[in-house]
Amino acid sequence: MKNGNKKHISKAAWLPLVGKWVFLGIMIIFTLYPVIYTVLGSLKTNAELTQGGGFFPETWHFENYYRAFVQADFTRYTLNSIVVSVSVTLLAVVTCSLSGFILARREFAGKKVLLALYLSMMFVSLGSVTLYPIYELLRALKLNKSIFALIVALTGGQATNVFLVMGFTKGIPKELDEAAIIDGCSLYGVYSRVVLPLSKPILAVVALFSFRNAWNDYITSMIMTISMPKLQTLTVAVVQLKYSVNAAAEWHIMLAGASIAIIPILIVYLFANKQFIAGLTAGAVKG
Amino acid sequence: MKDWNSKSALPRSKTMKKNLQAYSFMLPNLILFTVCSLYPVMWTLKYVFFQYGGYGTGTPRFVGLANFARVFRDKVYWESVIHTFTYGFGKVIFIIPLAFFLAFLLNQQKRGNGAAQSIVFLPTIMSSAVMGLVFYLLFNAYNGEVNQYLMAAGLIQRPINWLGKEHAMKTLILTAVWGGVGNYMVYFIAGIQQVSGEAIESARIDGAGRLQTIWYIIIPMLGPILKIILMLAITSAFHDITNVMVLTEGGPTNATMVMSLYGYRYFFPISAAEATVPQYGYGAAVSVISAAIAGLVTVGYLRISKKLDEIY
Repeated sequence: MKNGNKKHISKAAWLPLVGKWVFLGIMIIFTLYPVIYTVLGSLKTNAELTQGGGFFPETWHFENYYRAFVQADFTRYTLNSIVVSVSVTLLAVVTCSLSGFILARREFAGKKVLLALYLSMMFVSLGSVTLYPIYELLRALKLNKSIFALIVALTGGQATNVFLVMGFTKGIPKELDEAAIIDGCSLYGVYSRVVLPLSKPILAVVALFSFRNAWNDYITSMIMTISMPKLQTLTVAVVQLKYSVNAAAEWHIMLAGASIAIIPILIVYLFANKQFIAGLTAGAVKG
Repeated sequence: MKDWNSKSALPRSKTMKKNLQAYSFMLPNLILFTVCSLYPVMWTLKYVFFQYGGYGTGTPRFVGLANFARVFRDKVYWESVIHTFTYGFGKVIFIIPLAFFLAFLLNQQKRGNGAAQSIVFLPTIMSSAVMGLVFYLLFNAYNGEVNQYLMAAGLIQRPINWLGKEHAMKTLILTAVWGGVGNYMVYFIAGIQQVSGEAIESARIDGAGRLQTIWYIIIPMLGPILKIILMLAITSAFHDITNVMVLTEGGPTNATMVMSLYGYRYFFPISAAEATVPQYGYGAAVSVISAAIAGLVTVGYLRISKKLDEIY
């Protein structure tokens, strides 16, 4: 058992511990089961999946992945997902960092109005319907035929992240700026040499969550690639399989696609789970 | 506008330069903010007064408040509002106690707790669209593994139609709990760690049992944080759309149509199988009313929780 290493555990202490881990065991199975089903299912035949087979695949059909990557064109979608997610992450970090810094450190004309606008947009939530005017605007600007439209729409207004970075920057002592200015730094120097290196922790939070959102997004990616199926990302391509003509015969391919879409983020999570969890509360407390 | 700069003694050209400098920092984000937040909201607020079929369908026609009048008569819309409340209530009522209990069990730095936390948190980092598809397969009536297991175990005689009219909402809530519980667990852990260990310790010394400690010490001290967490849970439930779109598509026959998805369907087809004629003006009106309902619920919730404060 889990507690075998503890030497003197009285019965009174032992019982709640067993109860705790039985409950946690159930929760862990509940949580992991759909993920395990996806990964193991991606290696089964369609018949095994739909007619009931063992927990593990009878034989491991790695060719499902070959079919997904080659026949269902997932190589392209994976590449799109990587390009989009990385670009969104970079764009979010750079733009939030710049504006968060200046809002925390300088008074300028129109700042109050801007802050009020940013704040109000955090509370006005019209949902995915706002994608339509964005799409139309990008079409008017002739940007709708490139992956750039998706990157812009997915990065979004970033109001929450701007406030997050602004709040964090306010916590960095102003004396450091002043010292740098005395030493001859310009505003750009103060930003790039003093504040930027010190705001790495909060920028890591912005980066992590931007990457996650971009990689996992479905609706924005679907709409922004509606006229350019070649630009679809993994999530869009995976869900589209549900509507393919022979969807009933392709559960194994769907699950292979789903695995391709979730495994990269699982790997990121494996290394950064502490940061994900800590970042969530950093955002909640300050935002 | 005269006093925006604290150092008003500066010469005009210098303040001008300072402003330009500041806007050079603001500009990249400001463009994104204008394109992706400000403009679409303004657009939506304008088109609530228009009848408009979209690009290439002629000019939009001003119809005054007709769209709103139609929303109030739209039975399917108000059913979708009720579904949203059912969904939100169902999600919150399961997630909050479960998340709290998990946080209570896992908040201390003990062997295994960190790993358990990471596992329970795992669904929050995965795509709700992709997992919606996986749940769609799992809960499939005839070929899904859930029914296969239940029948093999002899718990049911014939397959249950999990995504049918009768059970679709329950299944949807179950998957939403799966996807959200880790999130709220982490919020609760952060909250519990703010409750001072000394209060818990002294309660223990005074002979309080585990349950008594939770009920008399942790929950009351957690009050303010609990309020925020509840509010987050309620407001976020109003905005869930991806999981509904992929798992049930709002069906069957609108049984799981929530208000966010209902507004959406007037802009875009919900699924590739659906052919809709967009009605942007009406969809905009639906979305604005839905946002107002969500806002009202939030305000009402804040009022009630404030009243409760006065009672205690």
